Amino acid sequence: MQKRSYTDAQFQELRTGGIIKQRQKDYFILRTRIPGGHLKADILKKYSLIAKKYGRDYVHISTRQGIEIPWIHIKDIQKVLNDLKKLGILRGACGSRSRNLIACPGASVCRFGFVDTEKLAKKLDKVAFGKDVPKKFKVAITGCPNSCAKPQENDLGFQAQGEPEVDLSKCIGCTLCAKVCEKICRRGKREPAIITDENKRPIYRKEHCFFEGDCIRVCPVSAWKVKKAGFAVYIGGKVGRFPKLGIKIADFVNEKEIPRIIKNTISSYNRIAEKEERFGEALERQDLEAIKKEIL
Amino acid sequence: MDKSHKEWQKEISNGVSELKVDQRLDLKGIPCPLNFVKTKLKLEGMEAGEILEVVLDDGEPIVNVTASVKEESHQILKVEKICQHWKLIIKKV
Repeated sequence: MQKRSYTDAQFQELRTGGIIKQRQKDYFILRTRIPGGHLKADILKKYSLIAKKYGRDYVHISTRQGIEIPWIHIKDIQKVLNDLKKLGILRGACGSRSRNLIACPGASVCRFGFVDTEKLAKKLDKVAFGKDVPKKFKVAITGCPNSCAKPQENDLGFQAQGEPEVDLSKCIGCTLCAKVCEKICRRGKREPAIITDENKRPIYRKEHCFFEGDCIRVCPVSAWKVKKAGFAVYIGGKVGRFPKLGIKIADFVNEKEIPRIIKNTISSYNRIAEKEERFGEALERQDLEAIKKEIL
Repeated sequence: MDKSHKEWQKEISNGVSELKVDQRLDLKGIPCPLNFVKTKLKLEGMEAGEILEVVLDDGEPIVNVTASVKEESHQILKVEKICQHWKLIIKKV
């Protein structure tokens, strides 16, 4: 078989499309993406086909909810890309592009989730993935303050939160809500958001609430309900050599606002950052209030 | 019926006199999630409408078992603290 040769520019092009040069000559890692980490079992089987046909019969599960297939020979790159398309496997990104949007399982199965984050991640793939940026850009979306998808470590992070409300006519005065609230607020160094009156009925003090929904989960008679769900928005988080957590710029943002916020944040990043610079680094030189206005 | 079972029966008899309890389970000292597993198994062996009384430790046990029993769609009639333990009254659905 004739070996196709690539120029440096073509290698760079491949790189942004998720074909990453290995340390071994002529071998490449094929990076794919799984938006929100939600993958149909039929597609999973197809990964196996590709790994057996072109790779070395194994895959690597990345930290960004992608599957990487190493040991793709240079002569097979075009063929493997054609096969991916046919099989319905999505290509990942490397280099100066925005990356796979990650999510926790969310409310579809998780007892803590306020929002179906997996489903949302699939919808948001279009606006969040594969955009040209100065360095890289990562978005994470997580269904509750447990933050399993780590929104604070991403350039842009959305963390669902729920404001509770109580129907006192259902309350049986067990005080479990106040008990779980006291525990979480103590860890968060706040006064409890739920205290009880002399009849053991709860009194809710929103200003102390962490909006994590423990009271709703524990209530034996479902007297506590979600009044309002939304998202806290974090910007500028990163890990790498110089880690920093994202800064929270909003609370209770509506789900419908998310696509717009992603677009705005990517354009803000492109405007303020120098080449090879992450969003969080560029933010240090900016007036945060002005950036908030630009994004929200 | 062992001694400890009798003891707590006496201990709680005042609080639930208005409810007819069909089955009892003493889960003092039983950690999560074993306490919930035992509760679930007990409920599975009961008829719909029957009432189960469970005694649980303070802390994680009462919080977790209450939430899990609710998620299994059973009806919780009463949650009461008795000394260092909690009593959960469940109606099997």
